[in-house]
Amino acid sequence: MSAVLTLDRVSRVHGEGASAVEALKSVTFTAAAGELVAVMGPSGSGKSTLLTLAGGLDSPTSGTVTVEGADLGSLGLKDRARMRRTAIGYVFQDFNLIPALTAAENVALPLELDGQRPRAARAAARLALDEVGIGHLADRFPDDMSGGQAQRVAIARAVVGERRLILADEPTGALDTETGEDILQLLRARCDAGAAGVLVTHEARHAAWADRVVFLRDGVVVDESGSAPVDALLDAGQGR
Amino acid sequence: MRGWRLPLRLAWRDALRSRARSALVLVMIALPVLGVTAATVLIATSNVSTVEGLDRELGDADALVAVREGVDEVAQAPNPDDGLDYDEDSGTALTPAQLAAALGDRPLTEVRQGWGMLRTDRGATDAQLTEVDLSDPLAARLVDLTDGRLPRAAGEVVVNQALADKGYDVGDPLRLRGQDSPESVVVGIAESSRVRSEPAVAGLVGSLGFETFDTSRTWLVGGGPMDWDEVLALNERGVSAYSRTVLEDPPPASEVPSEVEVYESSTDETALAIAALVVTMALLEVVLLAGPSFAVGARRQARTLALVAASGGTPAQARRVVLASAIVLGAVASVGGVLLGIALAAALLPLVQSFTSSWLGPFQVAWLPLIGVAGFGLVSAFLAAVVPAHLASRQDIVAVLGGRRGDRKPSLRSPLLGVVLLGVGIVGAVLGARPGGELLIAAAAIPAVLGMVLLVPVVLAVLGRLAGRLPLSLRFAVRDAARHRTRTVPAVAAVAATVTGVVALGISTSSDAAEARATYAPMLPAGAAIVSTLGGQDAEQVRTAIGREVPGAEPTDIRGVRDATEEQYLEVTVTAGSDDWLLSSSSSVLGSSLLVGDELPPLLLGVDEDERTSAARVLAAGGAVAFTDRGVRGDEVGVRVARSDGMTGEPIGRPVSATLPAVVIDVDPASTGPVAVLAPAAARQMDLEVTTVAVAITGARVTEEQEQAVTEVLAATASGQEMYVERGYRADGETLIIQLVLAGLGALLMLGGTLTATFLALSDARPDLATLSAVGASPRTRRGVAASYALVVGFVGAVLGAAVGFVPGMAVSRPLTTMGGETCVITGSGSCTPSGVQVGPFLDVPWLLILGIVVVLPLLTAAVVGLTARSRLPLVARLS
Repeated sequence: MSAVLTLDRVSRVHGEGASAVEALKSVTFTAAAGELVAVMGPSGSGKSTLLTLAGGLDSPTSGTVTVEGADLGSLGLKDRARMRRTAIGYVFQDFNLIPALTAAENVALPLELDGQRPRAARAAARLALDEVGIGHLADRFPDDMSGGQAQRVAIARAVVGERRLILADEPTGALDTETGEDILQLLRARCDAGAAGVLVTHEARHAAWADRVVFLRDGVVVDESGSAPVDALLDAGQGR
Repeated sequence: MRGWRLPLRLAWRDALRSRARSALVLVMIALPVLGVTAATVLIATSNVSTVEGLDRELGDADALVAVREGVDEVAQAPNPDDGLDYDEDSGTALTPAQLAAALGDRPLTEVRQGWGMLRTDRGATDAQLTEVDLSDPLAARLVDLTDGRLPRAAGEVVVNQALADKGYDVGDPLRLRGQDSPESVVVGIAESSRVRSEPAVAGLVGSLGFETFDTSRTWLVGGGPMDWDEVLALNERGVSAYSRTVLEDPPPASEVPSEVEVYESSTDETALAIAALVVTMALLEVVLLAGPSFAVGARRQARTLALVAASGGTPAQARRVVLASAIVLGAVASVGGVLLGIALAAALLPLVQSFTSSWLGPFQVAWLPLIGVAGFGLVSAFLAAVVPAHLASRQDIVAVLGGRRGDRKPSLRSPLLGVVLLGVGIVGAVLGARPGGELLIAAAAIPAVLGMVLLVPVVLAVLGRLAGRLPLSLRFAVRDAARHRTRTVPAVAAVAATVTGVVALGISTSSDAAEARATYAPMLPAGAAIVSTLGGQDAEQVRTAIGREVPGAEPTDIRGVRDATEEQYLEVTVTAGSDDWLLSSSSSVLGSSLLVGDELPPLLLGVDEDERTSAARVLAAGGAVAFTDRGVRGDEVGVRVARSDGMTGEPIGRPVSATLPAVVIDVDPASTGPVAVLAPAAARQMDLEVTTVAVAITGARVTEEQEQAVTEVLAATASGQEMYVERGYRADGETLIIQLVLAGLGALLMLGGTLTATFLALSDARPDLATLSAVGASPRTRRGVAASYALVVGFVGAVLGAAVGFVPGMAVSRPLTTMGGETCVITGSGSCTPSGVQVGPFLDVPWLLILGIVVVLPLLTAAVVGLTARSRLPLVARLS
């Protein structure tokens, strides 16, 4: 299996001097194609920082972040934006759909931003929406959708256009249990189809969908395993 | 008031916290307040009231008294300029000695005012003349000496800087034009208290030797305040008085003699109506410009307001929270605007003075109007917050607390009302499209604009629905604008209202100009010039002046019979067959209505080469050439010349007449040529005195400077001729300036509305921009979105505004440019050609202006916004 995302001894320090906070301390981490990795940990453990670094929204203080073989740290703002359009897909807890755009337009967004013709982008978007099971809602606006539908749109947006890295930040946090399970199933299916997924979550049930669980505490990976009893690792994370 | 204390405190803190938005509102409201305040102060300062003008007329004296020849009793208003009644030749005026006695022991000194012509290096100029003993304490402050000394004896004068600039310096001799004016010497430069940029001379009584305006003599009187009773007593002896005390504190109307008809300035109702219209439109504009900020502010407070409502707050309390911020910001902006406006006026004073020919009054701040201006600012802020406040009090609490955003669906009632108002406006404009309907059209523009404002949400909603095919940033901007109507609608409406005004005024001014252009009748062939010599006088001087001032010009004498001298005038009648008259009107642009020559003189309009040839043949044969605009034909004309006394109109001698072989040439009714041209032999036969009546100038383009120079030279000749240069129709400088000002003002307001809306939208759309960034938008996407916002607001507003502006613009062009019945067509010289035909209406749409404001300006604004917007997207706003 080839590694889609690699973090090599990545540190991230916020602030300077006495007020400096070390969010991540020399974390090494990979996610391979076809693999869904759950990242768990208590509040402030560095989960979200890991995700922003993986998505190229932030740069590490030291270490390298490699996506599909490209070192994000060596890329400029523009090229990192291009990476987000073409290689990385984000799924957020509160969906972050653009209310002024329809479902199809939201999904087509990365393609259009990448310069594709609107018609082709829209067609690809419809296909992606069909895949997540809401092709019939393509022309609805986000405000007219349920949470589950909105999150499906967000996932469609994250995977549209052959992107192989999906970063999901508590994607089920705003959903009821049943809908949450559906969404995770969808993510799992995308990974089985060849994408690498990173799922930040604090719910043990969801971690069960993952191939591997990485546990963070105070910016350090304290356990990385595909077999350890997940529930045991989670006790500290329940405070969140 | 108690219910307001908390909202006001909240508003104050909120204003301090969101500084950028507060600053925006402050600028929107303070700028108009500042502008109007500065204008008010400058107008009040440049308006010299009677009391303020006292020092200029009186110097340090207490009164100015006048005695009229042949008048021994007068009745006057407190200010004689407002009303003065006397019978001419009713008695004997007081002698200076009697006047001095009548004034008791008051000191007095005679003062004489007048105008006269002075020779200058080039020719002559008008000058204001004052004769008074300038060393007399009473006359102090009538002049302000800047160089040299004051006159001490007859034959010494001071001149002001304006005259010094024309070549009079200390030590130069100065003499008024005219036979028996004494010569004086300039001994100093002194500014007159009365005029600034016009030449002025002052000297002792008798030193200049001029005649005053009328038969009165005036004296400056000192010796303490002169009260109304004293003025009345002087009136009984035929003396009118202009008393400082009386003018400063006028007696009640009951004490003014009943026979005096006091001239009272009436309030002009039209002016009042126009002022009301202007204030209404300005208020609307400011409300619309400030509205978006309050809309955004209300949304920022939405959660607070929802929490207030959830814990039992009433809608009224929610409204107050939003309104209070309008009160706080409005008050600060108004007070600040007024204070800054006063400072600006003070700073601009020297500049204004340099453009004004008279002296400005003392710096004057009229507080009452300024309080009104400040009130205007406060009210406009309040009105701008009314709609956001109303919406905030009715918001969906559950939705807000649940974190959803977006406006409610628009109600159907307001667009319906909008259609009705727009209809009212259109009907009003159509009804007003008749002579005298200007005010109705202007008034009808207000409902039209209000109706348009109410229709903006519908237009935005429709556009949002149609936006699917637009490129991403534009689609995002259109949809977002449609979703956030409380923020977008006022901004779009502000742009639209501005454009409505610009388009309407643009159409009316350019239609006016089109009328002037279409009805312009040239008097001479294009580029030619002429100086009438009024019958041979100074012809040589005229030729010399032209030769010196206009190099390359070819002066040609035009010979003819003088139409009038000081003693008599000529009446020339030309008849052909049974037709008594050939021309509906004639004028003597070429110096006379009866010209004489071997061939046709130059500069005749509407005469072609063939006609010239046949005319030359007839003239060589001793005949005549006659002109007709009535289609009269004939090969023989009767010419009759009668003379009458210039004063009494009595005929002098017997009319001379002759019947001559002739050609009759057709000319345009609006032409201003002579009645006939006679062969020299025919003129001799009729015993007419032939002289040079005009000098035609051809062969050179006379510039305006050359024209002024020739005119100044000619002012020194005996008959004071002026030069006329035919430059064709020339757009009034005013039209162009008005259009430029319109375009500039429109651009400014448009920029203001667009920028407000755009930056408020950008700050509102922060989460969306963060999302865009997260899914891979490159940094310049934000610029694209910003430019698209500006384009949407500017373009939608401009198109709507232009559409609505066409209605009053086209309507008002009818009453403005229609003339019917017995009216005048004003020609280049300002003369009036009667015209029975209906002229106009003219309609000229200034497409360039409209294109500029509807297409270029929104694009330009969008480009400016796109280039200046921060390109960096908020990156992690929603991730942590």
